[in-house]
Amino acid sequence: MILTALLLVIAQNPAQDPRYERLDPETRARVVAIVDSARLAGLPSEPLIHRALEGALKNAGRERIVIAVHRLAADLGTARDALGTKATPPELEAGVAALRAGATPAVLTRIRDVRRPPVTMALAVLADLVASGVPADSAAAALLVLAPTARDADLVEFRHAVERDIALGAPPAAATSVQLDAASVKVDANARNARPGKP
Amino acid sequence: MFERQDEEDVVERVIRELRQPVSIDRALDARVMSEIARPETGLVARRPLARAWPWLAAAAVLAAVALARPWSRGPRPDAFQFVLVAPQAASVALVGDFNDWDPARAPMHAARGGVWATMIPLAPGRYRYAFLVNGVEWRADPGAPTARDDDFGTPSSVVTVGGHGT
Repeated sequence: MILTALLLVIAQNPAQDPRYERLDPETRARVVAIVDSARLAGLPSEPLIHRALEGALKNAGRERIVIAVHRLAADLGTARDALGTKATPPELEAGVAALRAGATPAVLTRIRDVRRPPVTMALAVLADLVASGVPADSAAAALLVLAPTARDADLVEFRHAVERDIALGAPPAAATSVQLDAASVKVDANARNARPGKP
Repeated sequence: MFERQDEEDVVERVIRELRQPVSIDRALDARVMSEIARPETGLVARRPLARAWPWLAAAAVLAAVALARPWSRGPRPDAFQFVLVAPQAASVALVGDFNDWDPARAPMHAARGGVWATMIPLAPGRYRYAFLVNGVEWRADPGAPTARDDDFGTPSSVVTVGGHGT
């Protein structure tokens, strides 16, 4: 009952969220304004609050926190435009990571079009591959090949294989190409039994 | 034996008698009704129960739904283990999107050989996190992808929990 009442109070007045107390008053006011604006635009608020809390814990300055939250809100909006209004918060967050890794909004849209939701893992693997040194266009091309039929576990295994080859000294783009061929064979075999992706 | 005429007379008399309205004592009627109305007889006591059974059934259904809480059944969280080797550390906390970046919510436990570990449930999603060593030093997870979108100049890692086929 108490928890329900607390949640109701927070839902009616998000500024009452006790987590905001970890921000100084001026930062809090500016972050609350950004979060409220994002919520009105239909964007998830939790990622924005988390980013502000991360900044506070890392002793980041006020401006840096506000800029980070504002930038994240803008990127969530871009991801939402690319993935559609039905995209879930985890999908939007993964979309932001993919965008920041260098994927274009068009790539996000194509992955959404060829893969059964959720597309969180596909977008996350794309971002992780770029973080490992794979060129963004190579990573995007590989994900577009695998996305229609690969399971999430296949995508994670593909990422591990590419990272392993890179650690052993292979050029990132070459490692991606080689492992894509191997993964495609395996995914095709799996797809004959079950087809998690679409069409 | 009666003659036919006598027989007809008798039948006629019996029919007339039977057609007489039966008069019931009004006091008796009142006594019977008051007896029916008494709760101890059970005749009236059963009526509220009979009327209430649809409500009781509805309450039972509501209770069952409340216990089952189908609305709270989101994706089932999987338990993930986080490990950091830090032999010199006095304390290590795991902080990230999954615990509101609150060090108090995920202290890690030291095992033999300076291995710090903790296990937490994660629902599908993508989470940024880092290890906070001795309350001041930030470390990324060497066994996980690095978060490139770090806005605060300290290392962070990401963990992604998939939604299908993981």
